[in-house]
Amino acid sequence: MRMKEYFLLQFKMLNRKMIDFGLPLLIGYALLPFVFVLLSNYLFEKTEFANYAYGLFALSFVLKLSETRRNDFLKSIFNKHNYKKLRILENIIYCLPFTLFLVYKKQFVFSIILNLFVIITTLFNFSTNLNVTIPTPFSKKPFEFTVGFRKTFYVFPIAYFLTYISVSVGNFNLGIFSMLLIGITCFSYYSKTENEYFVWNYNLSSKEFLLEKMKTCLTYFSILSLPIIITLGISFFNQIDILIVFVFLCYAYLTTIIFAKYSSFPNEMNMSKVILIGLSFMFPPILLIFIPLFYSQSIKKLNTILND
Amino acid sequence: MIKIEKLSKFYGKNQVLNSIDLEFEKGKIYGIVGENGAGKTTLFRCISGLENYKGNISSDYTKLKDHLGLLLTEPFFFSKITGKEYIQLLANTRQIELSNIENKNIFDLPLNQYASTYSTGMKKKLALTAILLQQNDVFILDEPFNGVDIQSNLIITEIIKRFKELEKTVIISSHIFSTLADTCDEIYLMKNGEIIKKVKQVDFNNLEKEMKEFTVGNRINKLELK
Repeated sequence: MRMKEYFLLQFKMLNRKMIDFGLPLLIGYALLPFVFVLLSNYLFEKTEFANYAYGLFALSFVLKLSETRRNDFLKSIFNKHNYKKLRILENIIYCLPFTLFLVYKKQFVFSIILNLFVIITTLFNFSTNLNVTIPTPFSKKPFEFTVGFRKTFYVFPIAYFLTYISVSVGNFNLGIFSMLLIGITCFSYYSKTENEYFVWNYNLSSKEFLLEKMKTCLTYFSILSLPIIITLGISFFNQIDILIVFVFLCYAYLTTIIFAKYSSFPNEMNMSKVILIGLSFMFPPILLIFIPLFYSQSIKKLNTILND
Repeated sequence: MIKIEKLSKFYGKNQVLNSIDLEFEKGKIYGIVGENGAGKTTLFRCISGLENYKGNISSDYTKLKDHLGLLLTEPFFFSKITGKEYIQLLANTRQIELSNIENKNIFDLPLNQYASTYSTGMKKKLALTAILLQQNDVFILDEPFNGVDIQSNLIITEIIKRFKELEKTVIISSHIFSTLADTCDEIYLMKNGEIIKKVKQVDFNNLEKEMKEFTVGNRINKLELK
């Protein structure tokens, strides 16, 4: 296989992913750069450490290309010289949006350093299937929190540490942010659709199934965020009403994502639903419409697979 | 008993199952054989309720799927879930309380390792252990012997025989004829989405000969091997 064919194949795969996601190609190619610039701008406006966060984000994105099995496959189809060339080229292409934005922000040194790191990463391959089993408190009820916790375990000490700082410096907002960080992390556990076999196996009705999923999710989220809720509740007692509102908002969004996920089952959530959920972040009361809507759609979809 | 009447299945315009009539009785072991693409897996998915179909599938149960253990040809595993957690997950789906999972690890699997790192045979054994512990009455085992070592093959064969004593219904597909001949009461031969032959235990030897002639024929001669 020649390199040109390889990149054409990657381009085709990207197009197929967008179409599967329910995103027309033209809109996709117009929307993606727009969203990327919007989010990048937001980050640079919000923090003075944006450069570092941006660099880390770009690197974690590029590092996905260093997965061992993927590279073993590439080594088997390209000779040593072409393999090296291809890896450097694809890493630079993956990093290009970040580089361009850094250049736009006149962060020339950062953009050069980032690209150097990106080239260096081609020297290493990482296995995503380490033999080390990360312990989890959620083994009794697999799978969302069991898998999710193992993938994002480092988020929780960060969130607890931020809570500690929020109390030390008397910043309630930072405390709320740390709880939202846990909420968003748990939210991400429900973004991917599982194989239908794992739903089919349940001997529950669609209603009972959704209730069970909700119960597990809200219980485990409460366990993870409890240290933060208690700490903030004691330290900022006069703002406990705001804290309670945010806790319930987290519950509402977690319920929404569960219902949204099964409302498209066994397919992945389509673009229109992702946009609706995105919009709800700007106007949370709209969840009062979305939750029952997604719930009734989920029941319909699950009835087929659970033979209800 | 499971009764299948006039079962047909289409994928678009492509008909993969054509008016199948079958009955599976309690306490009996059934084998389904046929070439790749004959429709065995689709038949299993229809019986399980994983596919829509034309025709009728009835059973003694209100919801057959709640009493059914389904072993897929290629079991699916999450990326960061251990063997023990996989067993726990499948037990949870049927509200079954499991204790001492390690003691029930008859295939000596490394239960505390991520299941996705298991070999093909180990994955199959894990999936089989999980559905065995679900305490089902009916089992559909799609290629249970594929990729599994000889020792485990013997264990699986014995488990299937034990099922017969326990009055369970078992439907197996396999490309290894001897394993079916060892365990089954009846074998059904599938071709192009149809059941073309139903054979009782006494005629298994003839079926093997017939299948050999029918499948191999003089195909190999076409290669003009020298």
